Amino acid sequence: MMTITQSATLPHAPTKSVEAVDPVYRQIRDLVYKVSGIYKAEEKLYLLADGCARRMKQLGSRTPREYWDQLTAQPGRDGELRHLLNEITIGETCLFRSQPQLDALRKVILPEIVAERTKQITKRLRIWSAGCSTGEESYTLAMNMLEESERLLKGWTVEIVATDLNDRSVETAKAGIYGDYALRSTTEYFKRKYFSTVDEKKLQVRPEVKKLVTFSRLNLQDDSKMLFMKGMDLIFCCNVLIYFDGVSKSKVINHFFTNLNFGGYFFLGTSESLMKLNEQFHLVHFPGTIAYWKPSLKSGKL
Amino acid sequence: MTASVAVMIRERVQNIETMPAIPAVFLPLLKLLGNASEDVKLDEVVRLVSYDGTIAGQCLRVAGSPLFGLAKAPESIKGVVLSLGLRRVETILLTCCLGQAFPAKTWVLDPAVFWRHSLGCAMVCRKFSEKLAAVDGEKAYMAGLLHDIGFMVNCLVFPKEFAVAMERACREEIPLDEAEQATMGFTHGETGRALAEKWKLADDVIEVIAHHHAIEQSQKAQPWVALVHLSDLLCRMRGLGYGYYERHMVDLMADPAWAILLKEHHDLGGVDLVRFTFELDEAVEDIHALVAAVFGSPAQRACPQ
Repeated sequence: MMTITQSATLPHAPTKSVEAVDPVYRQIRDLVYKVSGIYKAEEKLYLLADGCARRMKQLGSRTPREYWDQLTAQPGRDGELRHLLNEITIGETCLFRSQPQLDALRKVILPEIVAERTKQITKRLRIWSAGCSTGEESYTLAMNMLEESERLLKGWTVEIVATDLNDRSVETAKAGIYGDYALRSTTEYFKRKYFSTVDEKKLQVRPEVKKLVTFSRLNLQDDSKMLFMKGMDLIFCCNVLIYFDGVSKSKVINHFFTNLNFGGYFFLGTSESLMKLNEQFHLVHFPGTIAYWKPSLKSGKL
Repeated sequence: MTASVAVMIRERVQNIETMPAIPAVFLPLLKLLGNASEDVKLDEVVRLVSYDGTIAGQCLRVAGSPLFGLAKAPESIKGVVLSLGLRRVETILLTCCLGQAFPAKTWVLDPAVFWRHSLGCAMVCRKFSEKLAAVDGEKAYMAGLLHDIGFMVNCLVFPKEFAVAMERACREEIPLDEAEQATMGFTHGETGRALAEKWKLADDVIEVIAHHHAIEQSQKAQPWVALVHLSDLLCRMRGLGYGYYERHMVDLMADPAWAILLKEHHDLGGVDLVRFTFELDEAVEDIHALVAAVFGSPAQRACPQ
């Protein structure tokens, strides 16, 4: 089991070690979970400690305990928690971030949706990448849907709606140019099939992938605009809700629930929980991943 | 399953005289565990274990795993008992004995995968029981550990038939019990029950082994069956399944087993199932390490080719 040591003198990036973890990190882990729903598992605690170390350096705090005080004491605790959340989720944006989510989508969910709608004349699938940042998740979904276009989704129209609050992110997303770090989990197969080379270090997603995705700016807290996002089969919202306070979070989640079709699924980040903010969604498990399900009418589980 | 199939299974299991060398300590230990009382003598257990150096050694290794939370690796069986308590040591011993009971050459499925699942399920059962005040954690562990012994019987008594079922489950990515039912006409629930009866396991445990895939058929120990059923599903969804992708969605809280357990244990309603799941993930590496240490490294294949 990996645990952490922390220098008693100056803050520095903690290293993985077999020695006992500073119990303060477990306290911080629990606080982060309570406030944001992000859970850093024991073997990933060093990532949390890394994030803390960077913040401690910024703040000049000398020990994890001192940092804990800064995280919990007024004034400024809410701001500091946001900084920490930024630190611990920063590296999570990349293409093909969660293979279990993609497996669930292609192996379980799509066959189910396709089977349910065999009799419908218009076959349309709508996916919303909410808080899409610079487009990694949106394009990953698009490529996976294209993979199914000659099989499960033959004759289907797929539409991926990708939104983010940040204009600059949306512009970057539209360009669809990614470097090694964002592409670290992308296989050669996908790179060859769906990207063209920009230069030695960068690849750009091909037009046929872009065609599936519509990027736009949207504030998830803008109630009037949220009302127009109806008819979704799937919603992905990764590491976005963690920054919202409890009330805004429940409001956004309610919008997601309303905007989903019956039988639709809502996915969060891989270590993120909805906590108990919505009683209508069913928490469901797929191999290696969890999701929230809006039961179909005929399941009688609403 | 027809009555004649049940009779056939029972007869064939009764006749497993070729049952590979079960450690001498195993059956007496089961009997002691069956009593489930505190007056089981410490010395009796230590004496039984001392018959078998291999088991004693394994017991020390298991007890030293992070899964059991000892700060320092224990040096003697007595030391383990003093730190972990007699009942927990009994379950550790049982784990080791079962590992010894079945040699690798008869396995249709990878033994490491089997043990990871059994041990994983045992741990999850105990973890659930920690959340449910009224549940005996060690009994839960034992029920989880033994729930799939039917697979061992399948490997010993019906290897060809079981290989077909296994191949189908992997190919179609369906639950193993469905594949067994479709190809063999019975499941590891029935074969496991026959062995459990032969071993004279406690009634509750027999119920768990027989009905963890068909909870509605359980007459006597429904909450136990429900507990193991849910833990089994959770393990299979979190990387402690049978080594292949199971193509299905699991809605634990809508499962009839959840309602049965909740009726008996109201504190189940307060369990944060997402966090519980994430915490289970933390134990997965430890379980892999423990299985490699005690039962040997996994083979290269997960499914029959």
